[in-house]
Amino acid sequence: MSHERFERPTRFAAGEESFGGVFAPETLMDNLFALEAAWIAAGEDESFGAELTRLLETYAGRPTPTYHARRLSEAWGVDLWLKREDLLHTGAHKLNNTLGQCLLACSMGKKRILAETGAGQHGVASATAAALLGLECVVYMGALDAARQAPNVDRMRLLGAEVCIVEHGQRTLKDAINEALRAWVTDPEAHYVLGSALGPHPFPSIVAGYQEIIGHEARAQFLSAHGSLPDLAVACVGGGSNAIGLFRGFVDDASVELVGVEAGGVGSEAGQHAARFRGGRPGVLHGCLSYLLQDEDGQVQATRSISAGLDYPSVGPEHAALRAAGRARYESATDEEALAGFKDLAAREGILAALESSHALGWVRREREALAGRSVLVNLSGRGDKDMATILEVLAPDQDGEGS
Amino acid sequence: MSASRLEAVTTRLAQAGECGIAPYVTAGDGGLGRTLAVLHALEGAGAACVELGLPFSDPVADGPLLQAAALRSLDSGTTFEGVVDLIGRYRSAGGALPILAFSYANPILSRGAEEACSRLAEAGADGLLIPDLPVEEQACIAGAVQAADLANVFFVTPTTADARIVRAAELSRGFLYVIGRTGITGTRTELGREGSEFLARVRSLTTCPLGVGFGINGPAEVAAVAPHAQLAIVGSALVEHVHQAALGSSPDQDIDAVCARAAANFLTQLREGLKP
Repeated sequence: MSHERFERPTRFAAGEESFGGVFAPETLMDNLFALEAAWIAAGEDESFGAELTRLLETYAGRPTPTYHARRLSEAWGVDLWLKREDLLHTGAHKLNNTLGQCLLACSMGKKRILAETGAGQHGVASATAAALLGLECVVYMGALDAARQAPNVDRMRLLGAEVCIVEHGQRTLKDAINEALRAWVTDPEAHYVLGSALGPHPFPSIVAGYQEIIGHEARAQFLSAHGSLPDLAVACVGGGSNAIGLFRGFVDDASVELVGVEAGGVGSEAGQHAARFRGGRPGVLHGCLSYLLQDEDGQVQATRSISAGLDYPSVGPEHAALRAAGRARYESATDEEALAGFKDLAAREGILAALESSHALGWVRREREALAGRSVLVNLSGRGDKDMATILEVLAPDQDGEGS
Repeated sequence: MSASRLEAVTTRLAQAGECGIAPYVTAGDGGLGRTLAVLHALEGAGAACVELGLPFSDPVADGPLLQAAALRSLDSGTTFEGVVDLIGRYRSAGGALPILAFSYANPILSRGAEEACSRLAEAGADGLLIPDLPVEEQACIAGAVQAADLANVFFVTPTTADARIVRAAELSRGFLYVIGRTGITGTRTELGREGSEFLARVRSLTTCPLGVGFGINGPAEVAAVAPHAQLAIVGSALVEHVHQAALGSSPDQDIDAVCARAAANFLTQLREGLKP
């Protein structure tokens, strides 16, 4: 059945400004209408919610702990707490979303899912949820990302997914999304499991809705352990799904400062970073209006980051709206600062963080004097095993690096 | 002229019960000079109007052939102002085909819709097609296209609900762009019974002239579409044919002239499909 209109707001408003929308080819519109209808129906269906909760608790490992990082707190002079999404099954927050969306796919009667992936975490989480729920899975991944996140490519294949390597464009997340969107146009019988809180409506709302469990859990856990709310909630921002998941738990608590940390890459010139709020301006990519790194002609610019998951020229539209409303602020951490955060966490707490999450740590580390004595809750969105090759290459260039 | 130049052509075709050919050309593929030569050649070969594609870095609605053409164009240094200049040169040289600028949303919106539309219209463009701007987002550009007197053209597909087809037709001037089947551009297709039924459904919902596109490779597809449409739109097949002509030319040849001849020959072949 063809649909006529969206039932929910398609934009995130902030005063006069709004972000998001549905900038999609007409060939995709009916898929989007159908998805919105299924999502609304699922939200009103108690058995859907109960099944998702059952999977999150007994399969994925929710709730994840909120951990007081005492040794690193001492070293940095900041009262540091970590929401341990790295402990979720598959090693990152991505599974919250893929379980929700794959259940949605089942509710729509779909037999196959498509997904894009940057760091590979969303691809692995998609392949995992697909295997669990008996769906076929095709994952699109840029060739550059596939090379730097090779363990995740193997993981996806072992989980039964078909991995399509994207060889054109910048060969990163942006190009993988282009290809997944094209595949969805030609394969409307599949559901496209978008991995971050971006894309055309209803995706930003769906993904944020499945990720906000992070913030709700963290708020309750922090209150229970600490007796009050944190002064800051900090998360890295690529597309921004882990960050919006954390922020939604605290957005009504005016005393909690929300800080998103983008990839500062290796410099402030165009092409050397992925700091959309610093170097970008409003623009449309992949179906939504948000902040976009683009040249004066509106062509999308290349990005650069040591972290594949943050290496993306646009950012989720809800973040653009939170920033415009003055509710959240967005900073950046360079590759080097992220690595410093990574090393300190490993040495003081025995946790290897994903390079994405290490940007949030890197920012706290850099700002530790300004943050002295304040309580800071960082979303540790993923574990770092997938990044070992990249990190060893950078941290130990003088060693043989061959391993044994 | 602007919108009325396009409307004059499609209205005449509709009244005469005829179908014309609307070729798509990626501006700047092989350089803007080559595009200028191709435009004149298409006009000489009897095109009804032309869709002039402004290249975009991330053309999600396009298949591999048009993606590649957009990247070749960007690599050769094509800019928005360059395309505006190209349109102006085509008009100065007496070019009379209606021109629909085909652009993804970002190059238009990031420049400011008003400025982008007025620059295009002043140079001599007559209409605007934005493949990633459905009717739900038309408010972003409605004022700007109206102020510039550009014909805005919207898309419908076999999965578009009747009420949205009516809405798209109401908002479109010149013609309504009918994507004959689901898929991305350049996918080889035939019209088939479903396609015919879809075109009949669209026809029953609006009196707006129809341009039918996606998947037209040769005269047979043109012949299939012609009874149902005022314009048969040909994109990937022409762009690739001209590109191959460029690749196949010898160093002592004027490549722009080779491409212009290739475009004209291809259009002439397609027009065979219009003969009764």
